Amino acid sequence: MSRSNADLLQGTLGLLILKALAGQELHGYGIARWIERATGDVLAIQEGSLYPALRRLEDRGLITSRWALSENNRRARYYALTPAGREHLREDAAVWLRYADAVTRVLRADPAIV
Amino acid sequence: MAETPRWRRYLRFWGADPDADIEDELRFHIEMREQEYLAAGFSPEEARRRAVERLGDLDEVRAWLRRHDWKKQKRAARVRSAGDLLQDVRYGVRKLWQEPGFSAAVIAVLALGIGATAAMFSVVDAVLLRPLPFEQDERLVMLERVDVPLRFEGESFPKSAPDVTDLDSLRGVFSSHAAYAPGSLNLTGAGSPVRVNVTLVTPSFFTTLGVRPALGRPFTPEEGEPGGPRVAMLSHGLWLRQFGADPGVLERTVELNGVRYRVVGVMPHGFAFPAETELWTPLPVPFTFDYWEPFRMYMPSHVIARLAPGVTREQAGDRLLALVNAYREARPAGSGSDERIAAADLVRPLRDFLVSQRRTALLVLMGATALMLLIACANVANLLLSRSATRRREIAVRAALGATPGRIMRQLLVESLVLSLAGAALGIAIAYAATGALDALLPAGLVGVAPPRVDARVLAFTLIVGVLAGVASGVWPGLGAFRADANEAIKTGGPVGGTARGAARLRRVLVSGELALALVLLVGAGVMLRSFLALLATDPGVRPERVATLELTLARATYGNLAARRQFYEAVLERLYATPGIEAAGVVNELPLKGRRGVALSVHAAGKPAPSRDEMVFAHYVTVTPDYFRALGIPLLRGRTLAPAVDSAGPGEVVIDEALAERLWPGEDPVGQRLVLPNEDPRTVVGVVGNVLSKALDDAEVVPQMYLSLEERAPSYAAIVARGNLPEGALMRRLRDAVRAVDSSQAVYNVRTMEQVIAHAIAPRRATTTLITVFGAVALLLASIGVYAVVAFSVAQRTREIGIRMAMGARGNDVLRLVLREGAALAVAGAAAGLLGAWMLARVLAGMVYGVSPRDPVAFVLAPAVLIAIALLASLLPARRATRVDPVEAIRVE
Repeated sequence: MSRSNADLLQGTLGLLILKALAGQELHGYGIARWIERATGDVLAIQEGSLYPALRRLEDRGLITSRWALSENNRRARYYALTPAGREHLREDAAVWLRYADAVTRVLRADPAIV
Repeated sequence: MAETPRWRRYLRFWGADPDADIEDELRFHIEMREQEYLAAGFSPEEARRRAVERLGDLDEVRAWLRRHDWKKQKRAARVRSAGDLLQDVRYGVRKLWQEPGFSAAVIAVLALGIGATAAMFSVVDAVLLRPLPFEQDERLVMLERVDVPLRFEGESFPKSAPDVTDLDSLRGVFSSHAAYAPGSLNLTGAGSPVRVNVTLVTPSFFTTLGVRPALGRPFTPEEGEPGGPRVAMLSHGLWLRQFGADPGVLERTVELNGVRYRVVGVMPHGFAFPAETELWTPLPVPFTFDYWEPFRMYMPSHVIARLAPGVTREQAGDRLLALVNAYREARPAGSGSDERIAAADLVRPLRDFLVSQRRTALLVLMGATALMLLIACANVANLLLSRSATRRREIAVRAALGATPGRIMRQLLVESLVLSLAGAALGIAIAYAATGALDALLPAGLVGVAPPRVDARVLAFTLIVGVLAGVASGVWPGLGAFRADANEAIKTGGPVGGTARGAARLRRVLVSGELALALVLLVGAGVMLRSFLALLATDPGVRPERVATLELTLARATYGNLAARRQFYEAVLERLYATPGIEAAGVVNELPLKGRRGVALSVHAAGKPAPSRDEMVFAHYVTVTPDYFRALGIPLLRGRTLAPAVDSAGPGEVVIDEALAERLWPGEDPVGQRLVLPNEDPRTVVGVVGNVLSKALDDAEVVPQMYLSLEERAPSYAAIVARGNLPEGALMRRLRDAVRAVDSSQAVYNVRTMEQVIAHAIAPRRATTTLITVFGAVALLLASIGVYAVVAFSVAQRTREIGIRMAMGARGNDVLRLVLREGAALAVAGAAAGLLGAWMLARVLAGMVYGVSPRDPVAFVLAPAVLIAIALLASLLPARRATRVDPVEAIRVE
């Protein structure tokens, strides 16, 4: 695993997008909604950076997009995970979890321990 | 948020429209969010405001997405079109690979055309286009009417024209100038004695040209003073050959005709200006006799100069003309000629001077290769057309499957480009192989200065020509594809309807055009051939068969006095006469027909009033031994030859030629008359011989000649001539052996037969004529292939018709006539157009022909006759095939 933690933090939005697409094909608004719902409306993503983030993921071949009709019969751009994206998600999620676990442990630790 | 204009939607018909897609995506997002807020109970305005707000800076997001998407689309388009092209190329190569015979024929035809054009271009490039290997060569000019001052036995010659010292007063016009005089000397003191081309140059020569020695230093001004140190500059070639590229050659001495010169430098590789010079020594100003004496030959001096910055050639010409006129006005009235001088003739561009009249010949040859290439292209277009006719079905299927006409056109063009580029590659190989053989086309002044070579320029030229040829020959079937009616073609599986007829007409026009172009070349070749034959038929005045010659220069150290030289020549002749097989031998100071004019003196008949300046008669001054006439086969018309041993105190004798006899004693017997030469007692004319062309076969001007006894003034430079009943090689060997037997250290050069001497002087004409003839023959061959292809194709298409005709009683001869008529129609149409073209283009040959008119009737009648005959012959093959058509088979087919 060569990716540094700084990359990981910056790539958090990408990771969330990949996770959102892990279960289903979604349009941009759907992705934003899914993340909001999944975090219990705690984490509202920066919508202005959602679309550029989607383009970057697509450029890297992690997701694909196509135009399709939405649930209310409107033309919408749907995004889906590629196999590479799925692999990426698995790896990044593992790193993220290890990192988060470490941070959590540090924060819960007894300050007296030397 | 602004509405997207409706028309933008239509853009999507032609592909993705990134801007519209971005708008749609963002609008969808905002509207979905808006509905969410509405559902939560916000007012419509508030819902909208919040929805937009959540996206942050909308304009910035939109701009970012646009930038990104456009870039991405462009990249994708590039990749896609490159992919398509690659696919086309792969498909084309595979298609062509499946028809190796067809492809090889097309490539060979194109290689021939492109190769000839590339080879010719390499010569034209070297001679006319590429800069000469001097610094800023376009600023270098040759000055006419500027002498080198002479001093003889301490006395200067009176000046009648400006000399190089006067040029110092034109400092502002010429930034530097130099005089040079090419000749040749024997080089000893470095291996075996050899003859080398030596040019005397003033010290400023190298700096004027802007070329520095690769080794050592240029000449110093002191070395250009009379009596200055004797020094030599070597050419790279001579340094390599005679001194083994020894860097220690500097400060060594070489011996030129027995005089020692110290080597001070070696010029860089490729520098041999002028006239393939191998060694340069200083030309002192004023020039003195002792510097010239070892050469003992005619050495024309030239003055080269570099125009000062900002000075035009016209300005320089005017200034020089003023100088020349000042001298003309200063001289006594009545002396010298008063011809008008044009300023432009006084200051000529260096390239003009070097190229002289060869420019026309080169441009004509370049034009001839261009014609040949056009014929090749027409031929290939024709082949491709007939191929596309058989491929119509394949093309129609592709069109039906959605390939656009543009795409099909591109596919066909790609195929012809693949062919033409393969032809160009092969053509480069041909050009490369031909460069050595093209040296004969170079003007003498450029031999060794600007050798033709296949370099990047020639490669680029060939590539361009290749692409043009590919497009020119590939565009016709491509246009056919555009018009092809897909449905028709698929249904019937064959060439149907107007397009097929149109293609057939196009092919006939192409072939007629080919024939016309071929005829232009053929007529040109005919005129040149007739001119060359006329040249060969010219009586040179000598009988060159079974005659060998060699040239030599006697070193001053050994043969300084007249008696020693006389003795040498006598001894050599004695040896020769003792050799079995030698019939006659003689010595002459200058061989005729060598392409060079000798020294002429003004003469007049004794006892008649001296002619006025305008009527002065000039005669070439030739010194010979008595048997020279017999050796060279010059007929003795009256009297006798010179006496064998002349008592130097006795009265001088002279033999004159017919031309001189006619001029001085018209209607009288010149034998016994007395001839007056400048500064000596009158001589008695003892004999009259036939005229000899002194310069070359194509020399228009007949200059009378007079022959004096070599015994009186045995020259140190001479040619020995021997006629014998021996094979050429043996004759030349005997000649060389005779010299060696008398003096084994004596260098000889130009050992050749007299026929070679004559041939050498007309070599450029021979080369031009040979090339044009070859081009004409190739053009004829190509055009006849074109005729064959068209007629054969038409026979194949008309098999059914022919079958019906035969079933209805037509006989073989009728069918033969039917088919031949088609070939004849092509030939006659082509010949008519070609004759017209040849007639109009004949003017360009005017300066190149000898003895015939550029509109030589023989060539203008014979060439079309040959063309039509060959065209009929080419249609005879398919015609014969047509007569063997089996009516039953033919009708059953289809």
